[in-house]
Amino acid sequence: MEIKYTIQGLLIYITIAAYLLALLATLLRRPRTGHLLYMLGFIVAVSSFVYRWYHVRHVPMQNLFEVSLCLAMFYPVSVFCRRVLRVGGQWADMLIGAVVLVPAGFVFNAEPQKLPPALQSWLFVPHVAVYMLSYIFMAKAAFFAVSQLAGQAHNPDAPRAPCGENLLPPEQATYRMICVGFPLLTLGLVLGSVWGKLAWGDYWGWDPKELWSLASWLVYVAYLHFRYMFGNRYRRINSLWAIAGVVVIVVTLLWVNLSRLFPGLHNYGT
Amino acid sequence: MLLVLSLALDSLTGCTTESRRKYCKGTPSLRDGNPKKVTNWLIAAPMSINQTFKNKFRRAIMWAALALIILLIFLSIYGAFIGPDRSKKFFNSIPLAVYWAVFALLLGVGIAAFRRLLRVPALLLIHVGCILILAGAIWGSEDGHKLRKRLFGIDKIPTGQMQIYEGYSDNRVILENNQIRELPFYIGLKDFRIEYYKPGYLHIQSRQGDGWKFPVKIDTEFSLGPEFGTVEILKVFENFKITIEGDRSTATDEPGPGSNPALEVRISTGRRRKASPSGLTVESPNGRTATRYVFERFPGHIHPDDEILMSYQRVISDYISQLQVIRDGRVVAEKDIEVNHPLHFGGYHFYQQDYDHEAGQYTVLTVTSDSGLALVYVGYLMLCTGVFWHFWLRQLPVRFSRLVARPSWPWFHGLEARATSNSE
Repeated sequence: MEIKYTIQGLLIYITIAAYLLALLATLLRRPRTGHLLYMLGFIVAVSSFVYRWYHVRHVPMQNLFEVSLCLAMFYPVSVFCRRVLRVGGQWADMLIGAVVLVPAGFVFNAEPQKLPPALQSWLFVPHVAVYMLSYIFMAKAAFFAVSQLAGQAHNPDAPRAPCGENLLPPEQATYRMICVGFPLLTLGLVLGSVWGKLAWGDYWGWDPKELWSLASWLVYVAYLHFRYMFGNRYRRINSLWAIAGVVVIVVTLLWVNLSRLFPGLHNYGT
Repeated sequence: MLLVLSLALDSLTGCTTESRRKYCKGTPSLRDGNPKKVTNWLIAAPMSINQTFKNKFRRAIMWAALALIILLIFLSIYGAFIGPDRSKKFFNSIPLAVYWAVFALLLGVGIAAFRRLLRVPALLLIHVGCILILAGAIWGSEDGHKLRKRLFGIDKIPTGQMQIYEGYSDNRVILENNQIRELPFYIGLKDFRIEYYKPGYLHIQSRQGDGWKFPVKIDTEFSLGPEFGTVEILKVFENFKITIEGDRSTATDEPGPGSNPALEVRISTGRRRKASPSGLTVESPNGRTATRYVFERFPGHIHPDDEILMSYQRVISDYISQLQVIRDGRVVAEKDIEVNHPLHFGGYHFYQQDYDHEAGQYTVLTVTSDSGLALVYVGYLMLCTGVFWHFWLRQLPVRFSRLVARPSWPWFHGLEARATSNSE
C-alpha cells in the first residue's frame, strides 16, 4: 500500500472520490447530483489517462496500472447501456469505476516503462482496447447476474430510474450485456492470436494468459449454449455462468500477471 | 460436471419419456369408435416418431457440445497451471487429438442437424469458422506435417531455429529435438543491429540501500546528497577498450566489431563547495575525487573503496536483422526483419527470435512452416464476422432506431424530421 504524491496520483484520487460521491448521491435519491459527479469523475479519469499518455509517450495500455486508468473511463459505456440497450445499473458502474482505480492508486507501480519490441505493433491498441471494453460489459453482466441471484426480479435501480425509463430485468440485462461483450471478447482473442503469430511466430503458444483467455471465452460460449437450450427456465444457472465468466476474467487480467505461478510471454504486463 | 452429466442423462432418458408421454396423450384407440381418427393417427404417427427421434438427437448433440465446452474450460485451466511447454505437449497428445477430432466432428454434425444453423448465415459462419480453425491447427501441427509427408510426400519443417553470423549464410534448421534439417534455400545475414531508447540511465545504489537514477548527460553534475557528494558523467563508450602504452593505460572507444558499452564517471565525495565573499566558488581541501568506469555488461563491478554501486542501463527499442534469401547462388529476396515484421518466403516464416547478447555478432531466427495458416485465418475472419453479425448487426440498428423515436433525444427528432421531409 503506497500513496502516490504525484499529479498522476492526485488525478486518480480525485476520480475515486468523485465516483464514490456520485454513488452516495445516487443511493440517497439525488440522481441529478450523482450524474453530475459521475461526469466530473469521468472527465478527471480522461485527464488522468491523457496525462499518462503524455508522460510515457505511448498509448498507456502497457501494464496493469495503465489498464486500470483505461478501465476507469466507464461513463460512455454507462450512457450507451442506458440509452440504447435499456440496461441500467449506473450506480454499479460508479462503484466498479472506483474499485478498478484503487489498485492503480495504492498498489500498482506507476514507474513509466518503455515499450519492448514485441509491443511495438499496430495490434497493441486494438487488442488491449477491445479486451478492456469487453471486460467492462462482462463486469456489468456479472453485476446483474448477482442482482438476479439476490432475488431481484426487476431492474435493480428501478426506484432510482427517471420516470418513463423502461429498463430490463436483471436476467435479460445480463444476457444483453453478454451479447454486446461477447463479440468484443472474441475479437480480442483473435487479434491476440494474430499478433502472437506476427511477434512470436505462433498464433497459439499455450501461454497461461492465452489459456485463461480461452477459458473465459469458453465460459461465455457455454453460457450462450445453455441459455439457448433452456431460455429462462434455469435463471439462476444462467446467472452463475455470467458470474463464473467474470471470475475467470479477473484471474486472466490480474492473477496471471501478478502470480509467479504462471510464467509466460505476457509477464511484461505486470 | 456431475450436474451436467446427470442433466445429460436426464435429457436422454427423462425428456424422452416426457415427449413420449406428450405423444401418447393424444393417441386414439379403437375403443373411441372413430375409425377415421385412428387412420389419421396411423399416418401421422411415423412422422411424429421421426420428429421425436430428431428432437432427441438434437438434444443429445447440444448436451455433448456443452459437455465438450466445459471439459475444454477445465483443460485450459489445467494447461495454464502446467506451463507453456508441458501444456503444448499435453494438448498435442493422442487423447487430446481424439478430443479435437470429436469436437470438429460434433460441430459438423451440429450444422447438419440444426436447420437454424443453416438458415441463419451468421450462426453458420461462427460454426464453420470454428471447424476451419480446428482443421487449420491440425493441418499445421507437427503430427499434421508427418501425416502429409506419409500421404502426399510433402516434406516441410514444422518449426525450428537458425543461428546465423554476420556476413554468413546458412540453411540448417535446428529442430526442438536437436535434429538438424536443411531448407531448400539459404538465409544470409548482411547485418545485425540493436537500437536503444535514448537516453540510457546511470543507476546508483549506496551500501545503506539508497537509490538514484540519472539520465546519461555529458558534463552534468548530479547530487547524491551531503553524505555521498556528486557524480558527473564524463564520456560515453560504445565499445570500451583499454590501451596500454608503457606505464600509461588509456580508455578508448574502439571502432569496428564488438560491443562493450560503458560510462566514464567522476565521483566527488566529501568535497564541499562554498561561496566566497568575492562570489566565486571554492572547493574545500579535504574532498576526494575519483574516476570510475561503469559497464553495461558488468553491472556488479565495484571498486573496494567505493561507497556506492553503479550500473549503466539502456532499454532496447528494437533489434533488426538484414536478411538475404539465396537460391542457386543468387539473392532472390531481401528484407530487414524485426519483432512483429517477419520474412515470408518459400512456405516458411522467419522471425527475429534472439541475438548474441555478448557481442551482437549473430542473430537467432525462428522458422515456422505456413501450412494450415490460411485456413486458421479464414476461420478467424468467419468467426468474427459471424459473432458481430449475429449479436450486433441484427440487434443494434433496432435499438438505435428505438432510440431515435425517444422524446428525450430532440436533435435526433430534428434529423429524422428533416430526413422525412427530404424523402417527401
